[in-house]
Amino acid sequence: MFFLAWRHLTSKIKQTMLTLMGITLGTAAYITISGMMLGFQTFILEQLVNNDAHIRISAREDFITKEKVEKNIFPSIAHVFWLSPPGGLRESAKVQQPQVWLDRLKKDSDVLAYSPQLVAQVLVRKGGASLTGRLIGSEPAKQVLVTNIQKYMREGRFNDIATAGNKIIVGEGVLNLLGARVGDTITLASARGEAVPFRIVGSFSLGVKTLDETTLFAHLTDVQTVNKSPSQISDIAVRIKDVTKAQKKAETWSAFSHDKIKSWDQINEGTLSVFKTQDIVRNAMTISILIVAGFGIYNILTMAVNQKRREIAILRSMGYEPKDIINLFLIQGLILGSTGSTVGLGFGFIFCQMMSQIQVSSQRMLGNGKMLVSFDPIIYVKAFVLGFAAAIVASLLPARAAGKLEPIEIIRSEAS
Amino acid sequence: MSIVLNNVHQTLGNPPNHILKGINLKIKDGEFVALTGRSGSGKSTLLYVISSLDRASEGEILIDDRDIQKLSKEELHRFRNENMGFVFQFHYLLPELTALENVLMPARKFKREKEFEKKAINLLEAFGITQQLHRLPRHLSGGEQQRVAIARSLIMKPRYLFADEPTGNLDSQNGKIVMDIFQSINKNDGTTIVFVTHDPSFAQLAARQITLVDGEMTNTK
Repeated sequence: MFFLAWRHLTSKIKQTMLTLMGITLGTAAYITISGMMLGFQTFILEQLVNNDAHIRISAREDFITKEKVEKNIFPSIAHVFWLSPPGGLRESAKVQQPQVWLDRLKKDSDVLAYSPQLVAQVLVRKGGASLTGRLIGSEPAKQVLVTNIQKYMREGRFNDIATAGNKIIVGEGVLNLLGARVGDTITLASARGEAVPFRIVGSFSLGVKTLDETTLFAHLTDVQTVNKSPSQISDIAVRIKDVTKAQKKAETWSAFSHDKIKSWDQINEGTLSVFKTQDIVRNAMTISILIVAGFGIYNILTMAVNQKRREIAILRSMGYEPKDIINLFLIQGLILGSTGSTVGLGFGFIFCQMMSQIQVSSQRMLGNGKMLVSFDPIIYVKAFVLGFAAAIVASLLPARAAGKLEPIEIIRSEAS
Repeated sequence: MSIVLNNVHQTLGNPPNHILKGINLKIKDGEFVALTGRSGSGKSTLLYVISSLDRASEGEILIDDRDIQKLSKEELHRFRNENMGFVFQFHYLLPELTALENVLMPARKFKREKEFEKKAINLLEAFGITQQLHRLPRHLSGGEQQRVAIARSLIMKPRYLFADEPTGNLDSQNGKIVMDIFQSINKNDGTTIVFVTHDPSFAQLAARQITLVDGEMTNTK
């Protein structure tokens, strides 16, 4: 029946082109929207997964409560009356038994690298300018194995802080806010101590404004000195071999530790839920477009079935079976679906290429500040399947209706 | 006997309308039969019941001693394709196909269109369609369209040709051409022809006339 189906479509070329356009636009829209959204998501995920630890072991913030104090200080008194009940954080957050952790991580075959850190809030000053920063103390040789920080260095190398000596690497945003340059000296003061001078030996740009304007890296020993917490660490950043197993691994470790252990996806649950929402919106939009396109096919084939009742009757009288009549209209849907989807793939690719050339930021970030668009083949496979499926589903109903038509009923209705 | 009808009744619609009332009929191989009668007498219904396009409410229809109402759908489709040809008042040509392609449609069902192409051309030429083989139906005259439809019904060399008012939509000249073709294929090929007409002059060309009045056969000459 391909011969006749093809003739049906080519005999009404304008109508066929309009129907094709619906499927083509639906497919192209899916590719373009998915390309843009997934491009953005890939960039953010790259930031989340590779710029920080896959798993972060950090100190659990322990709060003082009146129940805990009563139990420890007044164990024999039934009722303690407080004028002002005790509260607040017990002490500065630190990982319990860090050496045990480091030994354990060293032996774990799933762990690729780990980096002990001390993170402290500091007041950063240069002349009259000041800002509150997040100072991360680490051992650079280990830190570069855990994150991609070296990739984002703009000036200097991350290993320039490999040895202690009050050297610091700062985000480009910090440099801008302080009006500082590499080579300048700035002072850092933690809540516990006085200001300590540090010389800027490098800068980085992660492409995330809030991080670039607040993050500073120094050697672990220097940060411990500034924070007045020698040999303490607040975090251990861990990179594992298979990032998809991060959550499971974090849960396993949590079972036998008092420390807070979170995988990257648990830490960024909020961001990931935004992505999920984006995916729902993207799929809903595309499905809406394809439903409209599908209705186009449905309408046209339904009209064709009504217009071709006589032809259906004569085909049946020649010995053509109901399944042949179903195939006649189904094949038209298949041709429309496959052609429309294929053309849509081409248009989608062209739209994505055009989008990827649009400059959206002057910042030097992934994609050189241009719009990040994903060209993942799976998007194209899904788009084709969706377009094709919409066409098939839309042509099934009219095709089945045509197959049910009996020649005698058509002849009788024509006669009346 | 090639076609035998035993006590065939046909009731249609709601409330039931008894259209055929106990028809008993025998049509021999190679007969040329005209079904006549007034409008609403049941002649077209009888034709469709005989030709298996419609099922009788009651009774037996034997073609070559086989009850066609008991054939499976597949057997019936194959039987129709290989043994029956249909011509209707309206030509029912497929508008997207040329005259030649229309004629080859029955053969195409079983992918035998190449095998039958020469025969199709010969048939069309015999019916005076020589220059219009590759024209679409809309570029043919009414008479030419009906002749293409007849050629289509004959392409598989059917043993039975059923025609419902084949001349009903034609002028007298084209009507005569159609009847000449029918007489020729009946005489030369031995095709059994059963046709419905309300035109007495065309009915007289048949070897046998069956007249229906209110669903009953009143005479057969």
